[in-house]
Amino acid sequence: MGTVRLEGVEKSYGDTQIVEHLDLDFPDGTFTVLVGPSGCGKSTTLRMIAGLEPVSAGTVRINDVDVTWKEPKDRNIAMVFQNYALYPHLTVLENIAFPLRATKTSRDDARKRAQEIAESLGLGHLTKRKPKELSGGQQQRVAIGRAIIREPSVFLFDEPLSNLDAKLRVETRSELLTIQKRLGITSIYVTHDQEEAMTLSDRMVVMKDGKVAQLGTPAEVYSHPNSVFVATFVGSPKMTMLKGNLKGNTFIHESGTSWPIDHGPDGGILVGLRPEDIKLTPEPQGSGTIAQIELLGPRAVVTVDLSGTTLVSVVEAAQLSDLQPDGRVAVSFSPERAHLFDPTTEMRV
Amino acid sequence: MTSRPAGVVRGIFLATALVIVLFPLVWVTLASFKTPQQLNDPSLLFFLPSLDNWRFILDGGILEAAGRSAFVAGVTVGVSAIAGSAAAYVISAYKAGGTLTRFGILAAQVLPPAVLVFPFLTIAYMTRTNDSLIPLIFAHLSFVLPVVTWFLIGFFDSVPRSLEEQARVDGFSRFKAFLLVVLPQVYPGLGAAIIFGFTLSWNDMFYGLILTPTKSAILPVAIAGFNTFRGVELGSMSAAILVAVIPVVIASFFIQKRLVQGISGGAVKY
Repeated sequence: MGTVRLEGVEKSYGDTQIVEHLDLDFPDGTFTVLVGPSGCGKSTTLRMIAGLEPVSAGTVRINDVDVTWKEPKDRNIAMVFQNYALYPHLTVLENIAFPLRATKTSRDDARKRAQEIAESLGLGHLTKRKPKELSGGQQQRVAIGRAIIREPSVFLFDEPLSNLDAKLRVETRSELLTIQKRLGITSIYVTHDQEEAMTLSDRMVVMKDGKVAQLGTPAEVYSHPNSVFVATFVGSPKMTMLKGNLKGNTFIHESGTSWPIDHGPDGGILVGLRPEDIKLTPEPQGSGTIAQIELLGPRAVVTVDLSGTTLVSVVEAAQLSDLQPDGRVAVSFSPERAHLFDPTTEMRV
Repeated sequence: MTSRPAGVVRGIFLATALVIVLFPLVWVTLASFKTPQQLNDPSLLFFLPSLDNWRFILDGGILEAAGRSAFVAGVTVGVSAIAGSAAAYVISAYKAGGTLTRFGILAAQVLPPAVLVFPFLTIAYMTRTNDSLIPLIFAHLSFVLPVVTWFLIGFFDSVPRSLEEQARVDGFSRFKAFLLVVLPQVYPGLGAAIIFGFTLSWNDMFYGLILTPTKSAILPVAIAGFNTFRGVELGSMSAAILVAVIPVVIASFFIQKRLVQGISGGAVKY
């Protein structure tokens, strides 16, 4: 059982506001990812939940208990830091067992449980080593072992995978998800990597300038971004934004090219298109010119120049034979796939 | 790899340095085994050694003076290690007192001890602790504690903050986190600081001369006592000097590497 609730939480250093009035609920057993560009206040939020950073205003509740001014040790949380923060002077086993030294667990019990956890994480043969004798991935697992031994109410992760190489990161990511699902412990995870956020989370909280830009399941956030910021931050390659005017059921781009669009008010508009929704057809009279083709295996990213505007499309490798660099293409999309945003407020319309 | 001529030059240089450093030590050692007559010939290298000087200083209370010196240095360095490590950590991790404290902590070292000794003496008289070890310990703390603190700041700088935070999340108070997790990371530095602080206190003569002139005389003061109205008792003094020097030589052997590390760590990293 572990719920976290932030009520009007704020953080500022002098005149600089880092986090602005945050109301967030983290229900029991969920995996929530706080994601945003650096400086958006996501790490600060996590540290306020941990009690490592005092709040400037508001209330933090864990399991409905007000812990706003409680020490980290009294919050029953576990945290995995970016650099793992393994205790260099202790062995793997002692590291995993360390949190039990703060409880009344006997030394033998603590060792036994640490050994079990080490085995379950595939560290059984390494228990006598010091952290510096381990690889990055092994260190990461020791940190996770130390986090789970105390059976906390809440897991906090502060960019725990960013020090691993790409391959290991993907592997550890799924391991982490398996462990979390098995233990069912409420988890809050901070990352700047939107791909990591999409794959790990039940719910993702996209943050910008100390505020929540959008909250929802990864699928919701991806398919219904509520602002230009979220639309371009989530998804890779990035969503293409076309600036122009809507008149009747026609969108007229700055370049003069027009497409049918079935919804939205007349006037200035931003049309957002996911790369997979943009169709390219080779055509000598087409309005776009292919600037670059990047093959990624089964698919390729094709960059198109539309009289000054860059457009990014993802194309199945099988269709690549029709497309040539510098070749002219016609750009099309189905009207219902277009995301419309107000050009001044940059919010979804 | 150094070339051969460079190696030869270095060898000659080191050998010269070694002779310069060791010469007084050898001379003092020889002198401590000489009779007053033999002492008149400083170049005398081979002679029948006599233990008279050693017998004289052992009966004359040099060991007691050495014991008092060790006690003063021990208490001084013990207090300095506890208070200094805590102070160094808050200065390093929490920027307590700001840059001014970090670099100003040694400011008192600029003052000549002569400026500070009279306040100590006055307080000693007021509290009727004059000619006892108590004011001397406080006097020694005035220079050992800042040096130990300053020395340790550089070591604490290299301990990541997240270690303390991790321990606090793992269920420990700030102090326990410091004690169980942060402090063990600087044990080598702390060991060096303790030995360094011990020698600072052990070697001090000025404060001892004024604060413990007679019945509580510490070793350097007792050694100075061999300069009597009848002249310098060179043989006994040499033996007493050896008693004072040997522990320092042994200590320097153990800390030389850490000493350089601590001083450069404190000076460079910020």
